[in-house]
Amino acid sequence: MNAIIFSAIFGVVMMFSGVFFSSKQLIRNLAIGLMAALLVLNAAELQGYGLFDINLNNMLHFTSFGLVFNCIAFAATFIYLLLSARDIEQVGVNLAEYFALIFFILCGVGIATSFNSLLMLFLAIEIISIPLYILTGSDKRNLKSNEASLKYFLMGAFSTGIMLMGIALIYGATGTFSLDAIATATKGFETLLTGGLLLLLIAMSFKVSAAPFHFWTPDVYDGAPTVFTSFMATIVKAAIFAAFIKLFEKAYLPSVASWKAALTFIIVATLFIGNITAVFQQSVKRMLAYSSIAQAGFMLFALFGYSDFGKEGILLYAAAYSAATIGIFAILLKMSDYTFDGYNGLAKREPVLAFVNTIFLLSLAGIPLTAGFFAKYYMLVAAVKSGASLWLVIFAVLCAAVSVYYYFRVIQAMYFKTATTEDVTTAPVTINFKVILIVLAAIIVLLGLFPHWLFTKVYF
Amino acid sequence: MIAVLLFLVPLISGILLFATKNAQQAKMLALLAAIATLVVSLLGLTALKQPAYLEFDVAWLTGINSRFHLKLDGIGQLVCLLTAISFPLIILSAWNNEYSKPNNFFGLLLLSQAGLMGVFLSVDLLLFYFFWELALIPVYFLCSGWGGEKRIAVTFKFFIYTFVGSLIMLVGIIALYFQCNETFDLKIILSQKIDPQVQNWLFWFFFVAFAIKMPVWPFHTWQPDTYEQSPTPVTMVLSGIMVKMGLFAVIRWVAPVFSSAFYQWGDTISLLCIVGMLYASVVAIKQDDLKRLIAYSSIAHIGLMCLALFASNKSGMQGAVLQMFVHGINIIGLWIVANTIEQNYGTRKISELGGLAQQAPTLTIMLVIIALANIALPLTNAFVGEFMMFNGMLSSKITRYNELDTVLAGLCIILAAVYTLNMIKQVFYGAVKREAVGNNAFTMPVKLALTVIIVLILVMGVYPKPFLDLTNEAVDAVLNRMITVK
Amino acid sequence: MNWIFLQVKNPITDVSSAGSYLPIAIQLIFAVLFIAAMMGLTHWLGPKRNTADKLENFASGIESHGDARQPMAIKYFLVAILFVLFDVEVIFFYPYAVNFRQLGWEGFFAVLMFVGFFLAGFFYIIKKGALNWED
Repeated sequence: MNAIIFSAIFGVVMMFSGVFFSSKQLIRNLAIGLMAALLVLNAAELQGYGLFDINLNNMLHFTSFGLVFNCIAFAATFIYLLLSARDIEQVGVNLAEYFALIFFILCGVGIATSFNSLLMLFLAIEIISIPLYILTGSDKRNLKSNEASLKYFLMGAFSTGIMLMGIALIYGATGTFSLDAIATATKGFETLLTGGLLLLLIAMSFKVSAAPFHFWTPDVYDGAPTVFTSFMATIVKAAIFAAFIKLFEKAYLPSVASWKAALTFIIVATLFIGNITAVFQQSVKRMLAYSSIAQAGFMLFALFGYSDFGKEGILLYAAAYSAATIGIFAILLKMSDYTFDGYNGLAKREPVLAFVNTIFLLSLAGIPLTAGFFAKYYMLVAAVKSGASLWLVIFAVLCAAVSVYYYFRVIQAMYFKTATTEDVTTAPVTINFKVILIVLAAIIVLLGLFPHWLFTKVYF
Repeated sequence: MIAVLLFLVPLISGILLFATKNAQQAKMLALLAAIATLVVSLLGLTALKQPAYLEFDVAWLTGINSRFHLKLDGIGQLVCLLTAISFPLIILSAWNNEYSKPNNFFGLLLLSQAGLMGVFLSVDLLLFYFFWELALIPVYFLCSGWGGEKRIAVTFKFFIYTFVGSLIMLVGIIALYFQCNETFDLKIILSQKIDPQVQNWLFWFFFVAFAIKMPVWPFHTWQPDTYEQSPTPVTMVLSGIMVKMGLFAVIRWVAPVFSSAFYQWGDTISLLCIVGMLYASVVAIKQDDLKRLIAYSSIAHIGLMCLALFASNKSGMQGAVLQMFVHGINIIGLWIVANTIEQNYGTRKISELGGLAQQAPTLTIMLVIIALANIALPLTNAFVGEFMMFNGMLSSKITRYNELDTVLAGLCIILAAVYTLNMIKQVFYGAVKREAVGNNAFTMPVKLALTVIIVLILVMGVYPKPFLDLTNEAVDAVLNRMITVK
Repeated sequence: MNWIFLQVKNPITDVSSAGSYLPIAIQLIFAVLFIAAMMGLTHWLGPKRNTADKLENFASGIESHGDARQPMAIKYFLVAILFVLFDVEVIFFYPYAVNFRQLGWEGFFAVLMFVGFFLAGFFYIIKKGALNWED
């Protein structure tokens, strides 16, 4: 509850900070400070110090899983703000509002990790989506940004409609929005329930950009201002996965056998399309958009093999993927040229950036000693444990091998190719920036050595 | 203690090396670290040979039941010794080479040693996989950073190839994990009974990864290009030690765990080995590039070792294990000579070289000795191993084709003599075709390294007993385990 | 021939079965086909003589001039949308007004909070200058 209430209040505070303060530095520091406070408040609730005791009529249900997930999302946002707050300034004049919108999205994240009723799920998804439409189009003078925003809005509205229809059908079948009741619902109206769940599955797949509902992703991620792409592709996506896994646990698990075929299809299509298309990209930003689709394919394994492994895995995956992607985007923001060639010879000029970028990329590729390896490992274990066909697992690892191709192209460019033009980085790289990146890389390596450190809290 | 030191010394010194500033300092530190590792490993084999020192076991991933468990035992002793001996030689041979960032170069080299040690020491399957991948990363950066002209594409191919293999192994590991009541511990895995039906397919998940590493035909296509394009010290690591990872892993993990599948697929794999050997030998005859010639000869030799392993008897397995060590030493010698020739004469094309015996008599003598060891002449170290392997193959009880196998494998030895002696004839005798380009790479450190190698060749050729004793028990244990299963 | 006259030979007793909807379905199909046929026929048979005057937009006999899509100040939209926003929020007062006795002090504070947020929003738009007509 702390997370939801305070993120909303902080959002309002940020809104007004733009009215009262004119110093950008002040606004930025305020946002970072509030973010840290939010993280602390959420951690306090995890330790049992919830500040509110409100009768929620079982609409929200706070579990340690959800709270740990919030911690990951907030910590990732905190690091994201530390790294990229300056770049947010570059986007437009409404600096305070951008931060406010980010806080509102986090409010949605808080609901998404704790909902216990389909109504709350709907609210969470909408609270997350609407600020994102604005952030996507925040670069008002840029046509691509406008296009992305409009596309995102239209497609998002469409999927919202599908989701509502699904919820309505489920309500029609069971007479309730409550997840607990749906899980034990009488099977009187099987067709309605199945239809509703199917629509819900489609809508959620859309939100996590799983194939074949992924078409918006590359354009939106490419068109949006890069700082916001970073936020969208990581924290938001992970949060929707947290909601998805909770929904799946309650609503789909009773009839899981019949959903496996659909899920298998979605996983295979997502992995295949994401990875294969990423191979052909010339722009690193677009490559990352497709890679985020591919990574979503792996995260879907958590649903497929729903178990403790799957839950732990999705936590680890969210942390590993968010940390690595935020880092890569932060470095991408410093480049003047977003193509692979833009990275040529980076290791010579900025050895620290090149080194941490390598760690981030290795983590995304799933090489041992990075968090990404165990993230993928847990997903595969979850799948095998739930009795997935080994072919599916082999297909997934082959896709992981494909992903090495495009991630390593960046590494090759940085280390083994010489720059064609002088001065590839445009934005000044401060010592602070480097230190934070090194901390981020250290976190990834530590999680790659001791992943269970992340889960210990879940079981208390 | 010993076990963890073997892994930690190269790891820490490797990381420290990145911080060093000048080249001399970097080389010195690298050499010292490599020698320290050698000393540790020798201590582990002699003075401090007590189980308490040789094993290191702490909790690691409690949630999934994986432990950080290192143990220096059995066949691991010999390959660890090989790794420990090789690295000082490699660093010595690279002493006078000019590298653009020597501290990074030697740092990565030592990191790869740490990874290799980890592979040879770990008795926890997940840990083994961890090191298996980690050994690859530094080598990837070494090859891509300091290699030849086509290095990026070639190394990438090598990386993807092996990475696909190891990912498939990862699936196998997960499947085995659930087959064996969720454990990664080698000892517990060995105490489980795995359904032969399951073994038959699970076997391939592991074997493909190892076959790519060895490489066994038809998974070998990365190898000649990579050997050719890599900087020579890295080629030594690759061919001398890394390919042994595959053979080692077959003995430690595949043979005892999947014994019935090991018998089942023995003939299939023997066929692959033989085809690969014949193919590589014939191709080697046609090679004009010294490095490629050695690369193909390496494929043939590895094929022979793999073939002998699948004979599944004492003589064959002991021979293969010994030969792993011997081949590692010998091929490093060959690479050193090839590198020296390239540095001195500016080319490694056999057709452009000639009459080197007149210009560089010492080098010639050394090369001839190593080359003779390469074709397993009696009194050289390779003879013992090859003799045992052939003995094993001929007396193999598990295949009906043992005579055919032996004859075809013998043919490869003859072909090996053809291309090796042909190479010596062309490069070292006849008319002088090319003058030295000026700088003399045949310096003191190189001479020292070659001398050590030649001493090893001769000593092991005459008195191989200590090396055989080292692995005697382990091979017996593996074979016993296989027999009980049968 | 029964089906032509939408007569059922054996009346279906189970009204919820799909078969009982058959007459409706036939009627629907017939309706659609009839409309399609009529529209097609008028297009096909009707005389067509197009002249410039005929094709002009109908504007009550007055000659049209200019483009209807004239640019308008964005401020209109802003004010309009803000009006809608606040207007909708006012609706929430109705249920409170009806029940405010029963809801007691707790309800009062809840509504007070709501009004607080409401005013915060209002304050925000004023401070942001959204209602400033002149630049």
